[in-house]
Amino acid sequence: MEKSAKNPRTRWGPAVAGAGVVMLLLAALAGASPAQEDFDQHIATLFNRYDTTSLSYREGGSSERTLEEFYSRRQYPGSPPFIPHPAIEVFGEKLACLSCHGRGGWSQVLQRFAPVTPHPEQQSCRQCHVSVNSRDLFVENGWQSVPAPILGRAQLPGGPPPVPHSLEMRGDCYACHVGTGAVTPIRVEHPSRGMCRQCHVPAGDGRPFTR
Amino acid sequence: MDITRRALIKAAAASSAIAAAATLFPGVSFSGWQEMEGASGAIQWRKTPCRFCGTGCGLLVGVSGARAVAVKGDPNCSVNKGLCCVKGYHSVQALYGRDRLTQARIRQPDGTMKEVPVSEALDLIAEKMQATIKSHGKDAVAMYGSGQWTIPDGYAASKLFKGCIGTNNVEANARLCMASAVTGFMTSFGIDEPMGCYEDMDHADVFVTWGNNMAEMHPVLFSRMLANRNRKKHVKIIDFATRSTRTSLAADKSILFRPQTDLAVANAICYEIIRNNWVNWDFVNNHCSLHKGKTNIGYGTEDHFAFTDKAEDVSFEEYTKFLQDYTPEEVEKISGVAAMDIKYLAALYGDPDKKVTSFWCMGMNQHTRGTWINNLVYNIHLLTGKISSPGNSPFSLTGQPSACGTVREVGTLTHALPHGVVMNEEDRRMAAEIWQVPVDNIDPKPTYHTVEMFRALDRGDIRFIWIQVTNPMVTMPNLIRYRNGARKEDRFVVVSDVYPTPTTDVADVILPSAMWIEQEGMYGNSERRTQHFEQILEPPGEAMCDTWQIIEVARRLGFEKQFPWSRESYIEDIWNEYIRFHDDPKHRMAPYALLKKRSGVQWPFVDGRETRWRFNPIYDPAAKQEGFDFYGKPDHRAWIWVRPYEPAAESPDSDYPFWLNTGRVLEHWHTGSMTRRVPILHGAVPSAYVELNPEDAAAMGVVSGGEVKITSRRGSIVMTAVINGRGNPPRGMVFVPFFDESYLINEVTLDAFCPISKQPDYKKCAVKVERV
Repeated sequence: MEKSAKNPRTRWGPAVAGAGVVMLLLAALAGASPAQEDFDQHIATLFNRYDTTSLSYREGGSSERTLEEFYSRRQYPGSPPFIPHPAIEVFGEKLACLSCHGRGGWSQVLQRFAPVTPHPEQQSCRQCHVSVNSRDLFVENGWQSVPAPILGRAQLPGGPPPVPHSLEMRGDCYACHVGTGAVTPIRVEHPSRGMCRQCHVPAGDGRPFTR
Repeated sequence: MDITRRALIKAAAASSAIAAAATLFPGVSFSGWQEMEGASGAIQWRKTPCRFCGTGCGLLVGVSGARAVAVKGDPNCSVNKGLCCVKGYHSVQALYGRDRLTQARIRQPDGTMKEVPVSEALDLIAEKMQATIKSHGKDAVAMYGSGQWTIPDGYAASKLFKGCIGTNNVEANARLCMASAVTGFMTSFGIDEPMGCYEDMDHADVFVTWGNNMAEMHPVLFSRMLANRNRKKHVKIIDFATRSTRTSLAADKSILFRPQTDLAVANAICYEIIRNNWVNWDFVNNHCSLHKGKTNIGYGTEDHFAFTDKAEDVSFEEYTKFLQDYTPEEVEKISGVAAMDIKYLAALYGDPDKKVTSFWCMGMNQHTRGTWINNLVYNIHLLTGKISSPGNSPFSLTGQPSACGTVREVGTLTHALPHGVVMNEEDRRMAAEIWQVPVDNIDPKPTYHTVEMFRALDRGDIRFIWIQVTNPMVTMPNLIRYRNGARKEDRFVVVSDVYPTPTTDVADVILPSAMWIEQEGMYGNSERRTQHFEQILEPPGEAMCDTWQIIEVARRLGFEKQFPWSRESYIEDIWNEYIRFHDDPKHRMAPYALLKKRSGVQWPFVDGRETRWRFNPIYDPAAKQEGFDFYGKPDHRAWIWVRPYEPAAESPDSDYPFWLNTGRVLEHWHTGSMTRRVPILHGAVPSAYVELNPEDAAAMGVVSGGEVKITSRRGSIVMTAVINGRGNPPRGMVFVPFFDESYLINEVTLDAFCPISKQPDYKKCAVKVERV
């Protein structure tokens, strides 16, 4: 780790950042308690993933994807977003979804860039992501939730902001913060830097240290 | 030629989807959420089991101020390890539908409902119960609960009705979903609930799903199964079903059989296992015994139907001789399953180097021979000795969060007690002692199972019924009869619920209930796991915990001594009283303090350890014999049953040429009274529909989105057709989900049931289908 910090090769950094996803997966596979796992384990899969993310994708961007739209598809910060486009039932659903959402890129059909999933190892996409076939309600709902995290909460001027969201299912920083599929205001300015968690650490609960 | 045409249709469908997509973009918006005033964004996470299915996922509910604002999967819960399904992630939104019941209501002479203080409604309920018992006897009052009852809810109901009032009129909707699983366990093993656990999924080499669309009904477990296949490339999933579903598409092989013929195929698999000498003789000789029961056992469609099975010993030779009628070639003729596929299934089960897990749920349980098909799948696992060890598991899944915990373990069925059955004197004595009631209070004769209970309400044998946490006016088969019965003069119906439903529509009194985490309680999931949740939120208005409603009424009836608990500690006190019933190594429950701490604890919980595989002395301290100890039966053996194929209660004919199959969809849970109030779930599947086979549809000239009329001998319904949707029935079958109260498909279904379990068959009746 120290070596990688001195020499920030791309493949070291984000691998660590993204290990959360793999951790979750492997914990499920091995039957181990996820509580015993941590980010420094099972990072080989993510090495590969970042290694094969092209420089052009990393440096790419688009201006169309707004935070407002991002949150309009969710019911609270961190809820699984619905599918905002028609999606027919086809054989091999995972493959069908991942053909766009695995790596991202331009969708000719929808005329925009596809966002990338941070948990491609989950195979049953529609377990959590559902289509919208009606915008009517059965009954009005009084649902409210907390505001979305405020951006740029660095402790010092120019300092690195902490990670304001849960890392469950979202441990792969590159998926949402890098490239053409990223939401513009949260797209990182230094996508080739690599080891995200060298500088960006999970935000605590705000309570100060006490002895 | 045909293929080309289909390809063209597919291409056309795809291009119209593309056109629709272009019009949908940009700016699809779907509510998002309203921000809480003054909320900091800081969230406190509290553990609970999910409100919905029997998987029992651990959730962490995010709380801000007095409201639930978010959900994430609990990584410390071994059931789901941090993953949920779309219902779980949005479950807390079901607390906030605008039409929550917050006040009690009483029906007025003019038919309207009037809001009253809860105490007034409770007074009226107690009065009516007393008056009914006086005029019509104790068996004229009844309680109908649910597998969504918490364990204390069901325990309080059983104690009040069976122990104090002295009637066995206690049933629960789990009769409609789990009864055949229970009788399957009791007849094969003499003790209820699965021997295995979810960890079997991490060990098995082969999975066979028997009429079980896990991708939609148990999505989190399905994902765990897929993860196992992804990790170990040799793992195979075989979907054995009557209809092609998402599970079939994800499986390595999909095998379709004609409805009801799973009985014949299971026997044919056993025939093949014996013919090829794949029998695990050590296991069979040391741990199994063979038996046969009655045949031509009927279907229970008439009132007062009664049946009692009688077991006779048979030899292995007699069993082998019986199986001669079930050669793969013969069974192919009735089942439509190619003999080759039957042999393939038998070879998977028979391979001594493969660990096999079978999963089933409603396909096998909602079956007029539900007990038999449960027995027959156990036969396969017993002949091959693939049971009670990691990865070798015949696994009966449940559909409700506490069908196991409350209905099966507490015993809220007419014949059951928290320990044992009312027919057994020792069991009655134990209950009387713990409940502090005279032993004569407990009637040794069971009264009505669920279907017969609603028939009794219709006939007038039952005059008062209290329904909690369930919606029978959507879920009862042959619904028209039972709704008319509930509406008759001189029937008094009390309904405790959280939202208005077709069942509250027939109520004389509605009690507003606290929902899920608005109260403290426990559920018990499919794998013998007891899951505690604290009260995390305040219930709205006068909404009250179902357990407390029962306590209030019990006290009004004069049973203060049996219901002495305080509001501060009643859940803990009830738990401590209840677990006295299970204080032996076969069934011991975890202590309250541990339940509070952990994300679920499996029973038997002995010497500080959970039991993951029962009957296996390596894992189960109650198992004393070498190898395996099936201690549920007096002979300490698992029973292999001779059970034939018998046809369904009603099969298609020239007047009613289609099978009607009913079930669920991923987004909605049961009757949708909660999930339809969640915007994203309602938006995904806003209304029910009928799935048609594309060729049947073409023959009738019906297109997707067109209207069709489905008619049975009992009722008819007009609804929208879906062709090539997420499920695809074979020719001659239609499928309708039952969640939608605007399309009551159970007005069409038949109230035939398994004579042993008394569980109705919602998967098979005959209908005609016409274009409208």
